[in-house]
This record gives sequence, C-alpha cells and structure tokens, in this order.
Amino acid sequence: MKIVYQNIHLPNSHTLAVYRANGGYQAVLKAIELGPDEVIEEVKRSGIRGRGGAGFPAGMKWSFIPKNDPRPKYLTCNADEGEPGTCKDRDIIRYDPHRLIEGMMICGFAVGIQQAYIYIRGEFYRETERLQAAIDEAYADGILGDNALGKGFKFHLAIHRGGGAYVCGEETGLIESIEGKKGQPRLKPPFPANIGLYGCPTVINNVETLASIPSIIERGGAWYGALGVAKSSGTKIFSVSGHVNKPGNYEVELGIPLKTLLEEHAGGVRGGWNNLKGVIPGGSSSPILPAEVCATITMDYDAMAKAGTMLGSGAVIVIDKSVCLVRAIARLSRFYRHESCGQCTPCREGTGWLAQIMTRMEAGQGTMEDIDLLQDICNNIGGKTICALGDAAAGPVMGALRSFKEEFIYHVEHGRCMAG
Amino acid sequence: MPTLIIDGKEIDVKPGTSIMEAAKLLGIYIPHFCYHPKLPIAGNCRMCLVEVEKMPKPVISCAMPVSEGMVVKTDSPMVRTARKGVMEFLLINHPLDCPVCDQGGECTLQDLAMKYGPDRSRFHDHKREVPNHDLGPLIETEMNRCIHCTRCIRFSEDVSGVEQMGAVYRGDHMMVGPFVEGHLESELTGNLAEICPVGALNFKPFHFQARGWELKHADGVCTHCSVGCHTRLDHLDGRILRVMARGWDAGNESWLCDKGRFAIDGLREGRLEAPLVRPVNGVVQNKVSWPEALDQAAAILKSVKPEEVAGVASDAIQGGEELFAFQDLLRNVVGTAHVDHRLRQRDFSGDEQPLTRADLLMNTPLLDLAGADVILLVGFDPRFETPLLNFRLRRASQAGARVISIHTRQLNSNLLGLTSIVVAPGGEAQLLNQVLAGVDGAAVEGDAGMVAALLKGAKKPVVLLGEQAIVHPEAEGLRRLVVALLDKVGAIGPNWNGFNRVASRGNAAAAQDLGVVPHRGPGYTRLERAGMNAAAILEAAAEGRIKVLFLLGVDPTEEALDRELARKALEKARVIYLGAYGCEASRAAEVVLAGLAPGEKPMTLTNCEGRVQRGVRAGNGPLEAKEDWRILRGLSDRFASPLGYNDLESLRKRMATNDHRYDFARLGPGETPRACDHSPVTKGLPVVVRAFEPASGIHLVVESALYRDDPVAWRSPVMGKLARDGRLRIHPDDATGLAIGQDGLVRVLQGEKRVELRADLDSRVPRGVVFGDFGQGDHALRELCDYVNGYSRVSLVALPG
Repeated sequence: MKIVYQNIHLPNSHTLAVYRANGGYQAVLKAIELGPDEVIEEVKRSGIRGRGGAGFPAGMKWSFIPKNDPRPKYLTCNADEGEPGTCKDRDIIRYDPHRLIEGMMICGFAVGIQQAYIYIRGEFYRETERLQAAIDEAYADGILGDNALGKGFKFHLAIHRGGGAYVCGEETGLIESIEGKKGQPRLKPPFPANIGLYGCPTVINNVETLASIPSIIERGGAWYGALGVAKSSGTKIFSVSGHVNKPGNYEVELGIPLKTLLEEHAGGVRGGWNNLKGVIPGGSSSPILPAEVCATITMDYDAMAKAGTMLGSGAVIVIDKSVCLVRAIARLSRFYRHESCGQCTPCREGTGWLAQIMTRMEAGQGTMEDIDLLQDICNNIGGKTICALGDAAAGPVMGALRSFKEEFIYHVEHGRCMAG
Repeated sequence: MPTLIIDGKEIDVKPGTSIMEAAKLLGIYIPHFCYHPKLPIAGNCRMCLVEVEKMPKPVISCAMPVSEGMVVKTDSPMVRTARKGVMEFLLINHPLDCPVCDQGGECTLQDLAMKYGPDRSRFHDHKREVPNHDLGPLIETEMNRCIHCTRCIRFSEDVSGVEQMGAVYRGDHMMVGPFVEGHLESELTGNLAEICPVGALNFKPFHFQARGWELKHADGVCTHCSVGCHTRLDHLDGRILRVMARGWDAGNESWLCDKGRFAIDGLREGRLEAPLVRPVNGVVQNKVSWPEALDQAAAILKSVKPEEVAGVASDAIQGGEELFAFQDLLRNVVGTAHVDHRLRQRDFSGDEQPLTRADLLMNTPLLDLAGADVILLVGFDPRFETPLLNFRLRRASQAGARVISIHTRQLNSNLLGLTSIVVAPGGEAQLLNQVLAGVDGAAVEGDAGMVAALLKGAKKPVVLLGEQAIVHPEAEGLRRLVVALLDKVGAIGPNWNGFNRVASRGNAAAAQDLGVVPHRGPGYTRLERAGMNAAAILEAAAEGRIKVLFLLGVDPTEEALDRELARKALEKARVIYLGAYGCEASRAAEVVLAGLAPGEKPMTLTNCEGRVQRGVRAGNGPLEAKEDWRILRGLSDRFASPLGYNDLESLRKRMATNDHRYDFARLGPGETPRACDHSPVTKGLPVVVRAFEPASGIHLVVESALYRDDPVAWRSPVMGKLARDGRLRIHPDDATGLAIGQDGLVRVLQGEKRVELRADLDSRVPRGVVFGDFGQGDHALRELCDYVNGYSRVSLVALPG
C-alpha cells in the first residue's frame, strides 16, 4: 500500500504536470469545500501521528492553534531530516514535492495560516533546488499566492535552509534557527502552538506527515484510519539500512512484523536471519532491539514502546554479527556529543562524558565501574533536559547496555572486541 | 489566583508566577544557578528541578508557571537524585581550584556542591580547557570555571543593552565570552562579575585582595551620582575593598554602574592626612594640632567683616550633616549670607522666585519612570550622567515608550527607538518654545511638531532636564518652558507628575534642601537677606570684595565653569579648606582642615527623587582626619555663639526640625523615606525666551565625564583606565577640513588662551561644535570657557604628533 510514495516511480514525478495528471491538487480543492473544521476532523479521524519521531497526533496538534487570535499564524514543515539512518523525506522532496506543497496548503487552509516555511536540511542542496522549482511552478500556476488556486485564500511558502545542525530538527530549535538565532531549543511551556515562530501560534509538522494529508482528505480519514493497526494507523516509510540485501525506503502499513519488513521487502538480512545481531528500529536515538525480539515484534508505536524502544523516524538500522556493538554505540555517542547544543547542563556535560567513556571502552580501556557509570549518566540525562536530544543520546547507550551488556564486559575483560 | 501546595504548604499566588517564586514566598529555597530574579528566564542549569504530582518527569521550577491544584515537592527522592546528577555534571569540567578562586566562600557552586556534590569524582577523562578573555580593566576571567548559565549574556542583552557577550560553539565545546576581545563598551560591566554564580568572571581590581569570608559588610548609599544606589560595602581592617549592589527594587534593583562600584580606589589617593596651617607670608603648610588649626581658621574668619566671608560647598561628596552645619556656621555663627554650592551653574535668575523643592528635583519616582509612555530628555544624557536612572528609562523603552532627546549632540544611548533632535548650543529653549506653541494648537512643523503631537497624545509623559539644561545659559527659562509644556498636556498633577530636574551630583538635592544656597535657608525657608551666588562669590573674591573663602570639599579650579576666575579668587582671597582631598584649592589655603571621605562617616544623602537616605561608616580615613561636621562644630566654639549640637543625633534632629523629610523618627518600623515627597510644582511663572543668535566659528561645549565627575572618581586609578581624558570630540567632516586625524593632537585656541588635546572623531557630534570633558589639569577646557556669554567660540589647529 503506497500513499506518500504512490507517484515516485513515475517519470518526471516531481513536475506539476505529472502530479496534476495523477490527481494532484484535487484534495486541497476538496478541503476548501469541506471547510476548516471538517478538515481538522478528517485528520483527527485518520489518527495519523507525527512521522518525525515523536508520534504526536497531527490533527490534535492543528486543533491546539488558538482560534480568533489577532496574531498571524505560521506553518513550518520540518524537512531537516537529521536523524542518522533516516532518508524518507528526501525522496518525497526529490520525487513528489507537490504532494508536500498540497499537504501544507490543506493544513494552512484548515488552521488559517497565510505564511508557511519549509526548513530544509542544509546538506539537501539538490533537493532544495527541486523543491524551489516546484514552489516556483506552483506560484506561476496560481496555486500559491495571495489568491491561492483562485479560491480567495492567501498562502505563501518559502524555503529556509539549515546549517547542518541536528538539534535544529527539534521543533523549537528549528524556530530559533528560522528567526536567525543560534539553534537552541526553547523551554516548553510555552508550546509553539501558542508562542512559536516570531512569537506567534505555529504548527510544525514533518514532511511525511504533511505529504500524507492529501490522500487523507481525498479518501477520507476513516479510510486512512482503517489502515495499519489500532493507534498506529496508516502507512509509514521505513528507511532500512545496514546489513540487508536491499536497503532502501519502504512504505508499508504500520503494524507490519519487523521480520516481514526485513525479509520480504528489504531482501533479507545479510547472511540470513540467523546472522542478525540486532536492529535499531527508529533512528539512531532509539534503543537497539536484540535479534530474538526482532523475530516477533511488529512495527507500530505501541509495540515499540512496550519493547522499551520507539518507532521514531522509521529509520531501521540492521546490524549483523560482524559488528562490534561497543564501537557502533561509541560512534553514536560521539555524534551526540558533537550535536548537543550545549545549552543545558545534563546534555552538554553528559553527552561529552558518555562519548569519552564509550571511546575508552571501545579501545579496551574501560573498567567495570565504567559500565555502571554509563548507566548512571544515562539516567541522569534522561528526562532532565530542555529538549529530547539528551534522551536521544542516552537511548542508544541504554539500549546496548540492556541487551548487549556482555559485549561491554568482554571489552573490559579482554581489552578487545568479541566480534574480532 | 491559583492555589498550590509546595512541600505540604498551601499558597495563593498571582497567575503566571513560577514555582520558584511561589516557593520563595513560602521561604522555601530551591537551589539554582541560571535563574536570577531580575533577568529573563533561561532554564538551562537544570538545578532547580522539582517534582510535580501527575507530571512524569521533574520540571524546572524557574520556568514552570503554577497552576491550580499543583502539588510540588522540592525535596523528594526524585528531586534529590536529579540535583545530584546535575551537580555531578556541573562539576566534571569545573576546575578544583577553589583555594585560589576569588569566588571561594561566596560561590553558589561551592555551596551547593557541599550539599549535593559527591566527595569523590567519578570523572577520569579529559577536563575541558578554554581560553580566557580580555574583558578590559574591570573583569578578570577564568573561563574554565564557567558553568554556562548565561546570566552574563542575558544581562548584556536585556539590562545593559550592549550585546557583547555570547556563547560560541556547541555542546561541551560551548564557550561563553565576548565576541570581540578587549574593553566592554558598557557602563554596567561590573554587574557581570557580580551575577556570575561561579568564579569565571571576577572583579579585576579586587583580584586576590581578600577572601569573601574575611570581609565585613556595611549598608552603603552610593555618592557618585544622584540616583543614590544602595550598596553593600565590603571592608576589611578599615579599608573598603569591594562594593556590591544591595537589592533595592525602587532604585537600582540588583545593579550598580562601574563608577559606583569601582571608584573606591580613589578613596585612598591624595588624601589630606592632618590639619595644616600656612604662616602669614609663608610658603609651606605645616602640620599642626587640631586646636591650633581651628584657632587659626577662627582668627582668619574674624579678621574681616562677616559679609566679607563667603562659603562654597561641594554637592558631590559631602553629607547632609556637614552641608547643614556649614551653612549654619556661616550664617548664624560667622554672620555672612554668602553661601552656595552651584559652581557649574550659569543662570541664577531662578533665585528671584521662591522655587519649591518640586521645581528643583524629580517628581516622577524612579520606579514609575518605567511606566512612562513618552520620555523627553532635555540636555540630558542619562546613560552617562545617572546610569541607573537610565536603566529605568531603558525598561520604559523596552515596554514601548517613545524616547526623544533634545541635546546639542546625538546620544550614545541604549534606549530603544531613541529619536535624537540635535540643536545648536543654547538652542534648546527655542525648540521647546515651538513645542509649547504646538501643544497650544498652533500648526508647528518638523521636530517641534512631532514632539508636540507625542506629548499631546501621551498618557504618562515625562520630561527630564539634565546637566546641559541645568548649566544652560537660560536654565530657568528652559525649566519654566518644560513646566508650562507639561502643564498644558495635563501631566503635572497629583496622579502623574512628569516634571523632572535631574541634578546629577551625588548630594545636590541635600544642598538645596539644607539651604546651601544664598537665597534660601534650610527647608526652603525664605531669607530676609539673600547672599551672593557661587558665580558672584568667585567674582567678588577675585576683585577683593570677598576676603575670606571657606571651601567645603570643593576645589573651584576643578568645579567652576570659569577656571581662570577660580584661580584669581583663590589667589586674592584668604582660603580655609575643609575636605578629604589635597587639591589646588587646599594648596592655596592658609588653613587646611582634614575631613573624611564617603564611606568613612555616617552620611545623609538625598537622591535625585528627593529620597533621604543614610549611609554608614565602613572604612577608616587617615588617622588624624575628622568627621567634617565635628570640625565645623569645633570651629564654632571659637565664636560667641557656637553651633547647638554636640553629637550626630542632635545634629540630625536639628536637620529634621528644619526639614521634616530628614526626620527618620516619624517613620514606622521598616519604613524608609519616600521619593518625591514634596509640594507641587510652581506653575504659571512667566516664560521669557531670548532669541538665540547663531554665531559663526566653532562652539565649545564642556560636559561632565561619567568616570571623572567627582573628587573620588577623578583620583581613582581604575576610573583613569575607563575615562578618555584629554579628548576633544569633533565631527569627522570638521576634522577632515582641519586636517585632524583620529587621536591627532589639536590645539584649541581662544584669544590668548590655549589647550592641547587629542581628537576623537565622533559622528554623533554635530558639525561646527566640539565637545570636551570638564577634565583636570592641563586638559581643562574650562580654561577657555567664556563664562558670561554662554558658550565659547574657539579655533582649532592641528599639531604634528
């Protein structure tokens, strides 16, 4: 079942002509007929949850925007796609940018937004060009502008390129960055729905979430809600990477068994299922699942939470038995140390400390005390920081300690890796 | 009013209050580093985490607003664990150098480490090392100690308005520091070190002077300008080593300016150590005993007719006690009417009217300034005359008030959205006259029309007259214009009074209150016989009509607008000098009576809003120097009717009988004297504005310099590093025309007289006008001041070198 990716195999799928020819910009017309409240209801009915990683219901988010507020309202699309392992939004922007634009227009219409921004990852240079071309096409066609689609509603769209900071994918860090400040997340409350971009009510949604909206409006929230499983409705794109035979982006219904995703869609684990060591299921910040859990778990929000990890951005990183897990986690720890904004104490100091210990551990210079210390540091970071980056840094270490502690012990005792 | 429960105690607070503030009201201390009650919330240190029932994670109490029915625990196991974790993180990269850290003993990190920190570190990896920064002569940095609380950054952005501090890099590479190395261009930099919760930013002048726990604290009141900021004087063995801000919400909040904080080293420079007498026709002043010195002073005073004696007092560093005793002695013991303190004033025409206290001081309390919606500054540069008053104006501007300045140059200001109207020297009155016409309903164009429209539309307008308005050749006309203007827009009333005359010198208000003026006695009583004003006194002394000059803490060669006249007066008259510092006047004196400086004696100080305050003794002066009023009391013993007070209490009682505002006995417990406690502003006085004739040539305007404007500050070595002494400010185009470059040597000529200074090219200065500071010694541009005809005209010559 393809929704977001339904057109990407078509030649010139990124052009307005192809998008139009395949029913593009009909959903927004339907939305205008439905009226704002009904659109929000449809989205709520679909049960779609934020595809950026936090999984917050999108319809709910839209309905938090205060009505009858004299301030302007903003929509910001988060296209910063910085979570290691994730590359799903890139393909939407590359091959179906108009779907994103239409999704944003529907949101703008429903919430009463006249100005929207797409905050795109700085490294996505070509993607930015293509997206800009699509926006230009839409303006030229009268789709965007003061009289969008000739329907008398005003909707403008601009791209803002990021500078390559992971933390700017955090919604309030992203807002600060658009405002021209250093990308540091804000304290919450107040939430962006009330005080966001330029101090005004702001909706922030992921690219995939917004690109799902046209189909939801076209075919109805109930149809979308029937896809997937309870509380995890619809389809999700999984960016499968690592030791599989066919790495790539796969759009499937939520609730699919992980084993099915890997074996039937991604060409199977390299060297067979029995060669699997573990899977990081939702981007680098989600705790790793050991192979025995991978065999039975399904890919939906609740099952993941129950297993002590998360669906996150849907970046499935497959790790086979050739990998030294200590080394892999040490690399991630260095990434988080580098990307911590430095604003709040536990993350600034904790990520650096974790990285230093993990690096020592990898080199065989760790101690048994260090293993307990890693756990303590993770506990002291988790839930104490301004944004989720602290938890994200603690996640992989905690996951590895939970499922692969013996590898850490081996490193301490033997000064080298089990995997050789 | 949400009701919540904190640690089992119930409390009602205003909506929007944070948990931290609510806890504070209950007397519950929540540990914190980044939170500061007077700064924007950052919420980055994470030390103030508390547990709130029904919330899954601990929340930071500084940023979390209270809500109805909240149940907060500030000392639960969850909270203690969280704090221990944060504390450990803060300490891993913090150096263990408390024994050599100036902050040691008064460090928040050290204190909380004692409570929540481990006694052994679990950190065995590389500690972060960051370079130190050059923040100029006031702030010492040791950035390894920085805990990234960003208080200094928030202070710079929000309070001082000079965005020079910031954080560069990310994660544990993040470094706090200035964007550009060197001087911080702010008059409030000392506060950065005061609010730093650790030893990263320290006071450079105090570096390694003493440990925190050795110091004793005394409640002081700053004498360096008329705001009268509350200070804490930290002293050791009779020496004041450090000045800290004492919280005062109605005044300086938690801040001090750099002059108020760092000029203390001037207390120890160039002091008069003992009484001195120069024999008749002698050259050398000899050290004598106090009785001898007083006998000699009395003999000099008695050697001439009483009306041939005149007294001039300083309004900068003298307390109310000696100011009162001084005029009391001269009027009632010696019998002369000639006493004044206004050496810088040009226009004394206001003395003919019975002006009230409200006419001469502020009528909008400092606290209320922040609520003004239109602020008009006339001849006032608040940032460099009264920095903490300027802070209040900045708060108003941050809240959206419109600020307009009428001055002879553009201001270097941190007020948001300031509109500068530049007038020719002396042109303020004419402009205000047009504004008055505009307020009256006439069609007025240009700047005057804009100001008139703003004032008419304002709900709470204020006008502040500053130094250049007070020393203006038509000062009284200007003042009356402002009164008329505010009266027209209904802004002089019981509910809102926007008329403010801000004399910036430390105790100018007390000098007015206590009758150190020739035409009024203490408490604004009218005198039958008015004496000569300061200008007339100097003139009469130079001409020999005044034969004895009694100076209280003032050196006319440094203070008078006309330095040449002051020199002549000192040469011609016999001089008795009572004061703390050696100076040209003390050297010219036959009798020198060594007094004490601020901080060495109990002092009554009245600030610009007329609030009577008292400072205490914190340090010791030179061994043989004495409290000034006691010297005057001792001197009066040599006369038929000595002064009627033998101790401080009875002197203060006498002051209180003369002016009830000085009566502290009427105050309830914990009550302090009120601001603007005075009668209404006199309205309806005739306004006469002389036509101002623009003249050719270059005008010279002499201004006070913030870091040099009182006897303590101009002797302070630290202030010397901040001040730009011996500078002439000139417009770049004028400079180019005269082939003067930045820092080039310029000779300023007026007839025979000449002064040489270095040029500062400053585009805030209008063309055709040059600006200089009052200055001392060879740089004194007052050598050139044409005292009678308003502003002087000078010519400039570029010199090589």
